[in-house]
Amino acid sequence: MIYKVSYVIVGEPHKGGIKNQYERPEVGGRVRFGNEYYEITEVHEIMPPRDDFQFLHATARPAPRKKTAPLTRPEEPPSTA
Amino acid sequence: MKQITEVIRQIEVFQGLSAPQLEQVAGMIRRESYNSGDVIIQQDDDSDSMYMIGQGQVEVRQRGARGEQRTTLFLGEGQIFGELALLDQGFRTATVVADEEPTVLYKLTRNDFETLCTTDSVLGYLIMRNIALDLAFKLRHQNLDN
Repeated sequence: MIYKVSYVIVGEPHKGGIKNQYERPEVGGRVRFGNEYYEITEVHEIMPPRDDFQFLHATARPAPRKKTAPLTRPEEPPSTA
Repeated sequence: MKQITEVIRQIEVFQGLSAPQLEQVAGMIRRESYNSGDVIIQQDDDSDSMYMIGQGQVEVRQRGARGEQRTTLFLGEGQIFGELALLDQGFRTATVVADEEPTVLYKLTRNDFETLCTTDSVLGYLIMRNIALDLAFKLRHQNLDN
């Protein structure tokens, strides 16, 4: 089965994109358009399947930047002993 | 040519075609490879061919009211663009730029497409129907957040 997915991006000037993929998109998954990654927030069928294709609509939003781990260990709390 | 046949078998525009029909189409298709940032077609240029994306992604840009370029859509593997060239022979309605490296495209010219439709009307009907379905899907995509 090939999933033809219409991705609509919320919060961007462009309307997202369309792509075929072999895995069904899942809420919480990520998709890339241009240099940006987007987090999928909603997926539903847009029309009935035909031949080898299933047609889906997904909504996505800009993915939050991943936080980086601190470079140094936090200081030890002062001893109360 | 066998490789092209295998690729276009996965493209929606060629769904419903028999193995001999796919071979016939594959014989008319040319493979092209682009680097990220390469301009594939330019808005307002003459048009003579349709492209299918075999690998990679493209960015579709259109000029706004003030002449500035704005991104309207991204198209990934299995999608087509430039299909209006096969239908109305008008100018290109958008600029399309490769967004991945490499972006591999398969190109079908209007002349070859018309030859296909003339020599095999069933094949011509199937491709025309599938192009119409793809245009309908793009229209739904555009309308989804209106």
